[in-house]
Amino acid sequence: MKPIFARGISNQFRLTLAIIMSVILLVANDRLEPVRNSLSSLLSPLQYVANIPGALLDLSAESLATRNMLAKQNKELLRHQLLMSERLQRFEHLRQENDRLRGLLGSPVHMDAKKVVAEVMEVASDPFRQYVVLNHGSRNGVFVGQPVVDAQGVVGQVVQVSELTSRVLLISDATHGIPVRITRNDVRLLAVGTGVLDELELRHVAKSTDVRVGDLLVSSGLGKRFPEGYPVARVMSVEKEDGKSYATVIAQPLAALDRIRYLLLLWPDIESDDAELTPPAGVEEAIKASQENAQ
Amino acid sequence: MSIHVANGRWVVWLSLLVAMLFQIMPLPDLVEAWRPDWLLLVITYWAMALPHRYNILTAWLLGVMLDILLGATLGIRAFAMSVVVYVVVLHFQRLRNFPMWQQALVVAMQVALYNLVVFWVQFVADSAVFDISLFYPAVSSLIMWPWIFWILRRVRRLYKVR
Repeated sequence: MKPIFARGISNQFRLTLAIIMSVILLVANDRLEPVRNSLSSLLSPLQYVANIPGALLDLSAESLATRNMLAKQNKELLRHQLLMSERLQRFEHLRQENDRLRGLLGSPVHMDAKKVVAEVMEVASDPFRQYVVLNHGSRNGVFVGQPVVDAQGVVGQVVQVSELTSRVLLISDATHGIPVRITRNDVRLLAVGTGVLDELELRHVAKSTDVRVGDLLVSSGLGKRFPEGYPVARVMSVEKEDGKSYATVIAQPLAALDRIRYLLLLWPDIESDDAELTPPAGVEEAIKASQENAQ
Repeated sequence: MSIHVANGRWVVWLSLLVAMLFQIMPLPDLVEAWRPDWLLLVITYWAMALPHRYNILTAWLLGVMLDILLGATLGIRAFAMSVVVYVVVLHFQRLRNFPMWQQALVVAMQVALYNLVVFWVQFVADSAVFDISLFYPAVSSLIMWPWIFWILRRVRRLYKVR
């Protein structure tokens, strides 16, 4: 039934209007970043609500953990902590030595960057891109271009910031590239994402370049975005076909990109106050106790 | 004249909000690809039931919101949604009178079209790799449509949405 008095504008006009506005958005996409950030601040409560079911599941899984499991986990963590603190003692010594040597050479001394732990929010993202959403935003000082790492290596960089959330582009995304260096011989390369979660491609590697399977790639700090020296990937395969002008080198990211939960946001230009990284008081005693038990 | 007075707007927007939440809610990897396009289904229902109130520009607005929430290039889903809802608005009388299975089939085709348009614009704007899983949401939407239709019709009658 057609309304007797046609109201408003015709559907064709509405469609044309919608298409024109969409095209404007598509074309001006890069310039709309501030608008998008404020809009996504407005919409981020929705993301928090959508995250609730997943968070509830996690909570119930935690509260249902048996005493046995917790004890086992605790034991494992204590052992881990012991190993780590031993390594840290050596590291501290090496760091001082390194600083002295750098001082002798007149090179700038590295400083420890400020870091904050953020949690990945479980919300769906654009299926064509590889993003994760973090529960920290501009209110916590997160900025666009900020490097993000986890316990194993580099994860990616922040590409969008809203008030309470931020979006991280993973290093495996097809639009992401990171300058790397082989630890074995300091050869500089560029690791580009392939769109596959556990694969990076090293672009423009001459066939004569000394790259071997198993080489460790660390961030070279050349792009001025990622601080130097964080592990990125390990070389998985090197193929030198006659028909191609470059070698095909595939590497696997060290960070477990498919199951990241807690991440570290780095502030390369702000020095860390070590206070937040020292373990709480009880931990030291617990470690000592476990050491004594072991002896 | 009372027929032209809008009623129960909040019900419609609440249903759209819930659909939006379902759209961005985390799912296990296994079923992620099969997620029905909730938002599209719900706006399709309202565009079919009240084509003079909820139509192309509503869909456009929802598309922009979805783009922002998903972190996609702005305008992709806005474009796709307005095109698909335009087809619904154009044929709303025919769609209303279809038997349920036929209606569900048409809606599934709409969802497939929507996903194709999203893929196509993405392909032109950035880059995208075609995967057959693009059409999975159409299948799951086919299954979900009768239920959504039933629930929303009850809601519409209960709150006398006009």
